[in-house]
Amino acid sequence: MSETADIVVIGGGIIGSSVAYYLAKLLGISTRIVICDRGPIAGATSASCMGHLMVTPDNAQEYALTKTSVDLWRGLHEDLGGFDYNPTGALYLAETDEDQEMIPVLHKQFADNGDQADVLDQKQVREIEPGLADDIPGALFYSGDGVVLPMLAAGAMLRGAQARNPNVIVRANCAVKGIERDGDGISAVVTEHSVIATKTVVNACGIWTPDIGDMLGQSRIPIYPRAGNLAITGHHVSPIRTQLLEISYLRFAHATSGVDPTKTDADSGGHAVNMQPQTNGGCLIGSTRQFRGRNKEVNRDLLRRSLQRAQRYVPGIAQAPIVRTWVGLRPYSIDNHPLIGPWDPVPGFWIAAGHEGLGISMAPVTGLLIAQQIAGMTPSVNVAPYLPARFVS
Amino acid sequence: MSDDRTIEADVGVVGAGPGGMAAATKLAAAGLRVVVLDEGQRAGGQIYRQLPNGTNGHGLMAEPPSHDQGHELIKSFEKQTERNVELIHGATVWDAQPGRLWFEHEGASRLLRCRHMVLAPGAYDRCIPFPGWTLPGVMTAGALQVMIRGFGVVPGKRALVVGSGPLLLPTVTSLLGAGVEVVAALEASSRWQALRALPAVALHAARRREAFWYLKQLSRARVKLQWGWTVFACEGDGRVQRAIIGKVDRSGRPRRGTERTIECDVVGAGFGLVPSIEIGLRLGVASQFAATRGGHYLVVDAEQRTAVATVFAVGEICGIGGAEVASAEGELAAASILREEGGAAIDPAVVARARSERRAADSMLRAFAPLPGLHELARPDTIVCRCEDITKLAAGQAAALHGESMRAIKVGCRAGMGPCQARICGPSLQAMATDNTACTMDLPVVQVPLKPVSSETILTAPE
Ligand SMILES: Cc1cc2nc3c(=O)[nH]c(=O)nc-3n(C[C@H](O)[C@H](O)[C@H](O)COP(=O)(O)OP(=O)(O)OC[C@H]3O[C@@H](n4cnc5c(N)ncnc54)[C@H](O)[C@@H]3O)c2cc1C
Ligand SMILES: Cc1cc2nc3c(=O)[nH]c(=O)nc-3n(C[C@H](O)[C@H](O)[C@H](O)COP(=O)(O)OP(=O)(O)OC[C@H]3O[C@@H](n4cnc5c(N)ncnc54)[C@H](O)[C@@H]3O)c2cc1C
Repeated sequence: MSETADIVVIGGGIIGSSVAYYLAKLLGISTRIVICDRGPIAGATSASCMGHLMVTPDNAQEYALTKTSVDLWRGLHEDLGGFDYNPTGALYLAETDEDQEMIPVLHKQFADNGDQADVLDQKQVREIEPGLADDIPGALFYSGDGVVLPMLAAGAMLRGAQARNPNVIVRANCAVKGIERDGDGISAVVTEHSVIATKTVVNACGIWTPDIGDMLGQSRIPIYPRAGNLAITGHHVSPIRTQLLEISYLRFAHATSGVDPTKTDADSGGHAVNMQPQTNGGCLIGSTRQFRGRNKEVNRDLLRRSLQRAQRYVPGIAQAPIVRTWVGLRPYSIDNHPLIGPWDPVPGFWIAAGHEGLGISMAPVTGLLIAQQIAGMTPSVNVAPYLPARFVS
Repeated sequence: MSDDRTIEADVGVVGAGPGGMAAATKLAAAGLRVVVLDEGQRAGGQIYRQLPNGTNGHGLMAEPPSHDQGHELIKSFEKQTERNVELIHGATVWDAQPGRLWFEHEGASRLLRCRHMVLAPGAYDRCIPFPGWTLPGVMTAGALQVMIRGFGVVPGKRALVVGSGPLLLPTVTSLLGAGVEVVAALEASSRWQALRALPAVALHAARRREAFWYLKQLSRARVKLQWGWTVFACEGDGRVQRAIIGKVDRSGRPRRGTERTIECDVVGAGFGLVPSIEIGLRLGVASQFAATRGGHYLVVDAEQRTAVATVFAVGEICGIGGAEVASAEGELAAASILREEGGAAIDPAVVARARSERRAADSMLRAFAPLPGLHELARPDTIVCRCEDITKLAAGQAAALHGESMRAIKVGCRAGMGPCQARICGPSLQAMATDNTACTMDLPVVQVPLKPVSSETILTAPE
């Protein structure tokens, strides 16, 4: 079978779904957009993660990107509905003196961006979150964060795309096998079911993004899987109602990793607890990080360490029934920043990937920025730091 | 960490039903030390379920002839528990590796180390959603048996029994034994389909006796088995008060226009069983699919050995077959282990009995293959996943957008993500959401814990 498309989006995770949504929104309804995933839509990392919508104030760049995106999420929920969205705010919890010292630093970062977070003492922390242990010395509360259920959100974005543009075609179980070239550019995408003639491709394959890049014979796109173990409780048992994370999480997650991601047996892994209330009254517990290739076996030791930390902060979680544990693979780019833009050596080839542990938060802005660039519009946020060009050798 | 929470045995057995009991009894009689882990409060498993005090609940309850064997089995098993068998009841096995079984028991996290293990965790009910199936008073046949036999509760006054397959009859007699009036017993398969089971029953003396016994009980209570009928819907204010019943065609599709209303306060629905294979998958045992064996079942060799060294499997986990199959296979597994332990060669009669029981069960159950048309009983707004309150419509929409695999339906609408981990909805969900008439289902992806246990249990598990 052969067909044509104006744009083919490869990968139907949260990122590909958002790209499809904003393409449908910004381009005319005569634009034929095909999005294909080799498995279920939103069945890979975007179904194995947490849904913390996190504004990161580390610097003005990141703040602009994440804040814009988290704000877009609110609008998407109002416009599209159909997915769980809960503006819980986030508590950054301190335990040690070193943690305590991070509170004013983080507070200032929010302030420097013209935003505000509240420094809480031992008593105030428990007023916001009665489920916490009574000896948590302090915390920072940021009200702008929230929680979504990513798989349903991806579905809602694709349904929203199709509602705006009947020429949006969604194909699950349709793996891309190759890309045909026309000179420097692209002439077609070969899937397991058809050949789709197109000049424009968006590669949104998460940890598999480099595999699609390889089909073009380019230098390997530097994205590596970074494993995280998660546990979920049964319903109506969550002792907490706010998104919680250890403040030391920032040191641990948002710095570039000191470990070589290609040496998959060298990384003993790390953890900082992240606890998330679910709409059904369950509680999702993370979050560990380890480079060990595409291995999805739960690491009992790391899982236990995060359960232990969870119990330390929220003693009531000890008796909660755990119904399932699993591993998700974060798409870590070598400098820990996403790739959002054209891959210059191949005209028409775009990348939207490498969001590590912030892909859910950054999905709307990523979709918007890709669509704006493809449509020739001025991007709402400065994309320069995120252009894949930084990796073209 | 090794402490009193870790125990050792020559053989660990999961499940104290007929399969597990038969294996344990024989192994212990030969001098091996056996630990049996079971979630229930007494030995017996599903079929010979007993009250905590060791009776079956209702003094006047009549028992089919096969239960004599069951009682013999329980007796000899319990005799062994005074010697070489330790039965740990109330034990939930939540993780397994060859040689190691992790379980939660009375709130403590414990580990059984064993040289061999026998998996006999049985089966669970296949649920077919229909409007009103979530009303209080509507139960699976299995849940009814647990109530009546395991807790001695009388579930109501007027019961309707619906479903398909050999479990219908014991459900009726248990209700009668508990003093409940059975207002109708509806078998969805047609009499002609069911006749295919006849040779298997007629040629097998024990099964023949059993069938006659059941039919006698039914006729004495004036309960007529109605072939080709099922429940279309249950209605009531806060709990079931009446059922709409009707005829179905040969594929199980409801024939609208044949409806009748029947007053009742209990509905027992038994549409067959599904092997409880999670523990086997976790251990890396291979599985196969056959609709007539209840779905995915574990693959074993002619001596009940799985391809994973030291792991044996018996009974429903190797395909639905009933108590006789389970106990015969349990004995065979024990013989295989004894031989591996340097004992005598396996008695060919033990092998022959296991094989002939399995053959008889297979040919009987071929007559009661799942009926795909029954999936049309549910309306678009009927809940199909009870844990997450997902409707048939939502499941269908998820399949249409996210893909037709079990996993796609799950991520597309959350069906199967709750505490039951798709044990209840899974077996019919995928076929229903995708109009799949072969009633196939993807192999579930098994994760720890195999059953819900506390965070503390996982955290403090001995290694
Ligand atoms: C444990 C954990 C916790 C996390 N917590 C958070 C959080 O709280 N907040 C947050 O913002 N982020 C979080 N993340 C990060 C977030 O989940 C990811 O960044 C995001 O899901 C990545 O989305 P994606 O669309 O790029 O990848 P994916 O969801 O993996 O999508 C890529 C898709 O490409 C498809 N594909 C691959 N190869 C092909 C091919 N050849 N042809 C067609 N399709 C193909 C795949 O099947 C897949 O569906 C977490 C991640 C993990 C693992
Ligand atoms: C609900 C139900 C009702 C039935 N009613 C009848 C009937 O009336 N007549 C009839 O002929 N057949 C009936 N059967 C079929 C009958 O159960 C089987 O033929 C027979 O009991 C199979 O024996 P088994 O040893 O394979 O498993 P079972 O008898 O099912 O025993 C398995 C045991 O393992 C335990 N177990 C399972 N998983 C775990 C775990 N993870 N940790 C610890 N323990 C675990 C269970 O609690 C159970 O006690 C019924 C089956 C079910 C499921």
